[in-house]
Amino acid sequence: MTASQTATRPPQRGGPSVAPPVTPTFRAFLRRHRAWIVIAAVLVVGAFVVLIVQGGVRGPGVPLGPDNPAPAGAKAVVEVLRAEGVDILDARSADVAVDAARHGATVFLFDEFGLLADDRLTELAEAADRLVVARPGFSALEAIAPGVRLGGAATGPLDEVACELPPAERAGALSDGQQLLTIDDDAEARGWRGCFRDGDFGFAAATGSGPGGSNAGDLTLVAATTVFENEHVAEAGNAAFALGLLGASETLVWYLPGPGDSDAAGAPSLAALPPGWVGRVMVLAIAAPLAAAIGRGRRFGPRVVETLPVRFPAGETSGGRARLYARNAARGHALDQLRIGTIERLTALLKLPRSASVDEVSDAAAASLGRDAASVTRLLAGDPPRDDRELVTLAGDLEHLERDVRETLRRSADDHTDPTGRRT
Amino acid sequence: MAVSGRFALLVALGVIPVVATGLSSADAAWLALLAWLVLCIGVGLLDLALAASPRRAVLSRSLPGRVRLGETVTAELAVANTGTRVLRAVVRDGWEPSAGVAGPNRTALRVPPGERRRMSLELTPWRRGDRRVEHVTIRSWGPLGLWARQATLSVPGRVRVLPPFHSRAHLPSRLTRLRELDGRTPMLIRGQGTEFDSIREYVRGDDVRSIDWRATARHNDPEVPGGSRLMVRTWRPERDRRIVIVADPSRAAAARIGDEPRLDTAWEASLLLAALASHAGDRVDFLAWDRRLRGRVHGVSGAELLARMVDTMADIDAELIEADWAAVPGQVRRVTSRHALVVLLTAADSPGTARGLLAVLPQLTARHTVIVASAADPALVAASRERGSLDEAYRAAAAGRALLDGERVAGAIRRLGAITVTAPPSELPPALADRYLELKAAGRL
Repeated sequence: MTASQTATRPPQRGGPSVAPPVTPTFRAFLRRHRAWIVIAAVLVVGAFVVLIVQGGVRGPGVPLGPDNPAPAGAKAVVEVLRAEGVDILDARSADVAVDAARHGATVFLFDEFGLLADDRLTELAEAADRLVVARPGFSALEAIAPGVRLGGAATGPLDEVACELPPAERAGALSDGQQLLTIDDDAEARGWRGCFRDGDFGFAAATGSGPGGSNAGDLTLVAATTVFENEHVAEAGNAAFALGLLGASETLVWYLPGPGDSDAAGAPSLAALPPGWVGRVMVLAIAAPLAAAIGRGRRFGPRVVETLPVRFPAGETSGGRARLYARNAARGHALDQLRIGTIERLTALLKLPRSASVDEVSDAAAASLGRDAASVTRLLAGDPPRDDRELVTLAGDLEHLERDVRETLRRSADDHTDPTGRRT
Repeated sequence: MAVSGRFALLVALGVIPVVATGLSSADAAWLALLAWLVLCIGVGLLDLALAASPRRAVLSRSLPGRVRLGETVTAELAVANTGTRVLRAVVRDGWEPSAGVAGPNRTALRVPPGERRRMSLELTPWRRGDRRVEHVTIRSWGPLGLWARQATLSVPGRVRVLPPFHSRAHLPSRLTRLRELDGRTPMLIRGQGTEFDSIREYVRGDDVRSIDWRATARHNDPEVPGGSRLMVRTWRPERDRRIVIVADPSRAAAARIGDEPRLDTAWEASLLLAALASHAGDRVDFLAWDRRLRGRVHGVSGAELLARMVDTMADIDAELIEADWAAVPGQVRRVTSRHALVVLLTAADSPGTARGLLAVLPQLTARHTVIVASAADPALVAASRERGSLDEAYRAAAAGRALLDGERVAGAIRRLGAITVTAPPSELPPALADRYLELKAAGRL
């Protein structure tokens, strides 16, 4: 049987027919989407090439890293010092730094995350002839410079040197963006002096002697990293201050503490706690639900489209009109509709001519009910309601009037069927 | 391609080798994990390779052509396997949702090569019109039931769902009334709505006023030479009148009253009227007209009439367009040039929408007897009585306004010489039938 034969035969009749597949074969799928597949492949390959060429995405680097050319790095200062003949030692652990310090090197310390233990810091301060600490933390200040405290941000550029430290005098001023340190009386008594005063708020740097008694070296605290950063080093006297502080000796130890220096370095890591197979089971725990999700997510054939007929509730027009009345508070108009309806129905009930006037209708209704004609007339053709409450009352009254008239007429009609024909 | 829950379970079972090896060494666990995943995929691929091709299934349908709305039919689908492997298939037949397939529509079939299996689905359509199916999807599992091949095959089919004709419940009582009217026995009284039937011999009890003396004079009594027999004239209700039902499937018919669109009410009413009128010997023509001829049944009588009408009605749905009433007289004229009863099934409920109808009514009433039948919304009457709160008062006012509008339109229609029949949807068909019987009794057809 061929496809052409099936085309001429309606499927209702039955009989075997070759059903043409709607789903494309894998090869047909590839052929149909060739353009997109090629574009996707080119994009993926291109992305890989760019990654390889660039060597990965470059981050901002280590703040104040000696080889970091990013704005937050300190390569500028380091390179200038190196060009001036200072040996730069990039120390990555406290042991190396302390060792170099004992040999008379200047030590630059920037402990971004407060990793360095207090005792190692004290040890370093005692060992070094000259120690420059950038942005010291609270506990570091407690350890090496008790009495010197953090004092918040400076109000602007600082040009009041206020001390006799040679690098500070040479620098003359510091750029905007400094932090402040305060020095209490005890510290002052122990020889701590502040440089670059910011009014009464404090100093951008503090210099004094470190712990360790008589042979203690010079200790300089610089409250902010701004002075050393590539981005700001060229502003105001930053460069002079930084180079003066760091370039005083033959060797400079550039020490940025790493995770290895922390107190917690000896504790077991999270990965070492669970047994070895947990990570592998986690992979399975992802793979098995993934397989189940693919299985459940695969659609069983294309969606079936159905054209639906247009239908809307017939009451929509009337409901919309009611909301319109309500929004405009059209009380008079709304009551008019009810009054007209009632009058028309009463006219029919009371068997009056269609041309009967409102007065005639209300008279007839009042007569059938034995009520005061004036009150019925007022109800049927009175003033528009003044407020919502009156509208509801009048609407209810109209309904009651109509019902009463109908009741009365039915009762009198029952009386008429009395076989004697007498009215009671 | 599809993946089974069994495959996911198989992947999850990998926890046993992974933990077993992981107890000794972590690296061995990695290896075990990798090996297990490769094994799973390998077994899956093998299973997939062993599955029968769903594309080589040959499908044939056997469908009932017609079904009344609300009834259940069986749709059969035969799956023949022309491949060389056993087809372990799960089949989904792509019926429209409104075809009302019973159950989850997933049929498991096992078709050996060269054989054929039949599956059946119970359909209970819940919408009138053509319910279609375009395709069948077959998922063919491998022998292990891990991975499956899937293909969708085009196998179109159609079941025509006819209007339910619920109002046929009213037919027996109306036929009884018709028989009373008609009598099936000739009447002796001439009156409106009757036509001459025959002349027969006088029997005792006949009204003497119906004796036809001229006929009596012509009839010589063979038994009594020279004498003659008394002959009487008999009459019967007029027959062979034309009835043209014009249904309006325009936007007015899309309105739903209760849970029935106006159009369905119109279908019920026209079916009952057509059934009654064809029993009464009148000729019924049916038109569905909005701006174009949507359906037409012409020149059919007897049992064929209703079959043709439901078939025509089945696929007509209301559309959001305004009816072109100006063309209706022309359409009626094309059906008959004689006097006819023209029944317009529409919505005459507001002066705005009825303007087109009112404009052409004089043309129709000049030649024909016209009935305008429309379904009224009983919810409006109920709403106009509820006046307890402010909201209800406004709603009552709006409902009262709508009722007054309906009254005004009905009044206008009556002034133009047509007859109005307005009733809630369930009562419209019998009300229209009753009005037809009244007209027939009054001889106004």
